[in-house]
Amino acid sequence: MASVLLIILLTLGGVGLYLAMPGGRLHAARAALILLIGAAAALVALVLPMAGAQAERIWFTLLALIGLLGALRMVTHRKPVYSALYFILVIIATSGLLILTQATFLAAALLIIYAGAILVTYLFVIMMAQQAGGSAPYDQRAREPFIGVVTGFILLAVLTLRLARGEELSLGTMAADSETTLGTVAQVGTHLLTQYVVGIEITGVVLLAAMVGAIAIARRRATADEGEVD
Amino acid sequence: MLAAYLLVGGALFTLGLVGFVTRRNLIIMFLCTELMFQGIVINLVAFGRYPLDGQPTLDGQVFSLFLLAVAAAEAALGLALVVLLYRYKGTLDVGAWKLLRDE
Repeated sequence: MASVLLIILLTLGGVGLYLAMPGGRLHAARAALILLIGAAAALVALVLPMAGAQAERIWFTLLALIGLLGALRMVTHRKPVYSALYFILVIIATSGLLILTQATFLAAALLIIYAGAILVTYLFVIMMAQQAGGSAPYDQRAREPFIGVVTGFILLAVLTLRLARGEELSLGTMAADSETTLGTVAQVGTHLLTQYVVGIEITGVVLLAAMVGAIAIARRRATADEGEVD
Repeated sequence: MLAAYLLVGGALFTLGLVGFVTRRNLIIMFLCTELMFQGIVINLVAFGRYPLDGQPTLDGQVFSLFLLAVAAAEAALGLALVVLLYRYKGTLDVGAWKLLRDE
């Protein structure tokens, strides 16, 4: 039963994603919307029996739907600025999901680092490279949308069908002790600085190398004569 | 509950993959890799919270923190490269750089 529902859900999602891709026929957007709402309803029907406590179940469904629809709009939107803004919606939904799993510090860090730092950098670059007057021609048409959607469909179908088959996975230790919080700053910090000290050092080296590399790249002068090859 | 989280994480990862394959804007392609990171973060944290055996651990959250650092480094380097490429050709179309591919 769950497998049939999964296949229907994935098919609806795949067809809707294909129709929503930029470059498709414009009147197909409404059909894409209807199909995607159907896929979302199937997802709700699939997820609801799996989940645990009542309130957590409702919050989880709400946040998952917001995140997935935001991701969909981000992938298919014709204007890059709107894509970046929808990605911020995805980050907010993700950090809400992390709060549901009681990873509070990680949720705050995700919100601050992604929505606060990385996305601002992206927005700067997008606005710097903005084409005058509307969206650029390469944003109007997707590149091989059918093959891309089919690839994603196959990947997700294999993953989720495998997931639906293993009952021991979905049941698991579902009733993890939900009273004890796991993920406060003190706990994460202690774990990080006792068990993963070497990882911290290596991360520092990676960040330093990235900083040096970014400065070295940004200092290069772009010579125009190499650019006229095509 | 674990399967539901894995489902959402997998769906986010797949959407990012499809976007990376199909979009032609360099910046949007980089944004789609960040979307794949979000799916992976959800998976890691869910596996740490609802482990298949034993007690919940913090390892998933620590891995996600490392992933955040790597994502920041990747965004800095990748965007620097995108700005450089934009200055060469004046366009963000990946098709403008198809001479780079292996034939």
